[in-house]
Amino acid sequence: MSATSQHGFHPDAESLSAFSEQALQERERADVLAHLAVCARCRQVVALAREAADADAPAATAPTRKATEPNAWWKQWRLVWVPAAVAVAFAVTTISVYIEQADRHGSNIKVAEQHTTQGTVPSSTPAPTEQAEAVPPASPAPASPAHAAKHAQPAVAKPLPAPAPPVVTAQMSPEPGALAPEPMDQVEVTPEAPPLSHAEAQQAPPEVTAGAMRPAYSQPAAGAWEAKQKQVEQQRQAEVDTLRMRHFKAKAAPAVVPDANQSAPAGATESVTVTAAPPLETHPVALAEPALMLGIKSPGTATTPARPMLLPSGLAAVSIASGGHFLLAIDKAGALFLSEDRGVTWERIARQWTGRAVAVRQKARVHGASPAAPAAQNGTTGSSSADAGPAPSLTEFFELSNDENHTWVSTDGRTWTPK
Amino acid sequence: MAPTESVASAAVTGIPNGTGAPDCVLDPALADELWRGCDAASWGLTREEFEQILLDAGTAQNFGLAEASNVTPATAKQQAAFFRGLCVADLALARACSRGNERAWEHFIAVYRQPLTRAAIAITRSETLGRDLADQLYAELYGLNVRDGQRRCPLLSYRGRGSLMGWLRTVLAQRHVDHYRRTRREEPLTQSNGIDEFDPPAPDPLPQMPARELSLLERAIEQAVSARQAEERYFLAAYYLDGRTLLEIARVLGVHEATVSRRLHRTEKEIRKQILKDLERHGMSRRQADELMGADARDLEVNLKKLLQNSQSEAFQEQAAS
Repeated sequence: MSATSQHGFHPDAESLSAFSEQALQERERADVLAHLAVCARCRQVVALAREAADADAPAATAPTRKATEPNAWWKQWRLVWVPAAVAVAFAVTTISVYIEQADRHGSNIKVAEQHTTQGTVPSSTPAPTEQAEAVPPASPAPASPAHAAKHAQPAVAKPLPAPAPPVVTAQMSPEPGALAPEPMDQVEVTPEAPPLSHAEAQQAPPEVTAGAMRPAYSQPAAGAWEAKQKQVEQQRQAEVDTLRMRHFKAKAAPAVVPDANQSAPAGATESVTVTAAPPLETHPVALAEPALMLGIKSPGTATTPARPMLLPSGLAAVSIASGGHFLLAIDKAGALFLSEDRGVTWERIARQWTGRAVAVRQKARVHGASPAAPAAQNGTTGSSSADAGPAPSLTEFFELSNDENHTWVSTDGRTWTPK
Repeated sequence: MAPTESVASAAVTGIPNGTGAPDCVLDPALADELWRGCDAASWGLTREEFEQILLDAGTAQNFGLAEASNVTPATAKQQAAFFRGLCVADLALARACSRGNERAWEHFIAVYRQPLTRAAIAITRSETLGRDLADQLYAELYGLNVRDGQRRCPLLSYRGRGSLMGWLRTVLAQRHVDHYRRTRREEPLTQSNGIDEFDPPAPDPLPQMPARELSLLERAIEQAVSARQAEERYFLAAYYLDGRTLLEIARVLGVHEATVSRRLHRTEKEIRKQILKDLERHGMSRRQADELMGADARDLEVNLKKLLQNSQSEAFQEQAAS
């Protein structure tokens, strides 16, 4: 008789028990299984032992269950983590939403008025002529209270005692019989004063604010402006720039007629003042929109950050200009930084100017304008075609000023040439 | 009642003692690890006794090595692999009890008395029979049985494979089944226990099929069933002969119930397929074979139980013959 068998042919109790507990090796298990296939007695033994084990299992676990009853599931300390986790999740969500909104606001560079108009609204304008000076409206981003208060002033063509930047004023005074879609017949280019510092620019009252414009337009025009304003608020800066240039080229540029009587010194900052002619009152929406777009989309505005923007040098930006996807910024030390991805990454531009850079602006020059205004904007090239020539086009460039009021220009933000 | 006094002789128990390499020494580090793991000191076992128990168990089973390799002592790694596959604490307790260690017996009773009684009641499905069965086993474990002038303790046959409680349950089941067979040999086994060793008597069949075709079918069935693997034959026997449920079979084999169902179904399909093939090999068309498969089972003289039991396990036949 083998040591592993009992009763002659049957496996011993330990083999059957180990088989039931899956404790046998493969070969021995196969042997036991082969025996079980033909032996009813051993199948019964294994089945009864298994039943006893199953019946004993609940009895064995019952005291354990009873012992754990006082610690009900709602009293377990682990559940403390549930409200804590909910609170943490809520806090994280709130903070992330706040940061995202703040970033969005920060990325929208606030277009601020650095300069005021200088003789913008001609006093000789007839009284019935509805005059509107359209300037780029302020960014929807919350500005400082003082700044916002200044924007809220209904200042229409308020001249500054300080040297004011030149203003390109487009008076909406179409000739008699002119059609409404061609409202601009006059563009005044005023020379620009030496650029103001950032602080001065902030202190300078805006030439015309959006709020000041609203009374000058009929209600539909104001509604259209508000719709445009909301759209601008919701988009990112790049989309804002793109739309601005598109609208400007499509509507403003063909109608701009440079005023030859106005001299435009180098480095002049542009703002557009639109004076609506009486016929415009009969078509307020159609007339107001181009003027409005001119005001909004005017590229010749200095920009200041809505909040202090830290540059890679660790200093705050004192002057920022944007054009397309380019972003130029000058820090407090006068270093110039260029970003081609809307402020995500910055590249420091080698110094190609003298003194300390204090301001950077985006400018635009008009090509192909009417010969009546050969030097249309900023005194830059005015070689334009005739009326029958191609439509005027707009070229953007950047202008940098140092603390000695010298100016350098660049089209790509990297290479700067004295102006 | 005094427990068995040092009757753990291998010659007496039939379990070889030290049949492995005579100079086999237990690895000290392994012995220390096992000693700390089984907490045998709490019920009165000394370190020397513990190591001797391990050494006896290891050499009796040649540390799980093949018989041919018993000329060289097992390495420390082989010893570790062997003992880590055993329930060393249960083994030490069983051996200590068989050697008459009083504190070990107290520990055994404290731990296993109630579970053993519950298991006996569950097996017999009777409080009285269960307690009787448990008491009888206790008496055996305590060494009341005497053979050749020496008391024998069944705990000596426990070698640590599987838990001691599982072994006790299996011993109880064996006692119960053997007792049942002895006392009720002349009557059918109770249906309440699910024990149905004999096929129900079939009514006198009225052969509808030609005798030759039925003979072919019977032979094909026998060949198909006999050719099945052991596990498949176990499925067939447990399910169709013993009337076990799929869940019971699954628990015994340690697999999922769905696995048993799937494999049982596959076995039936393969048996049917093989029978058809065998019939076609004997000159029947497919249509004839299909018709023959639809024959009344009562027309067949196939005793599946006898058929399965005739295909005895070769392994245990060899063991029995040796």
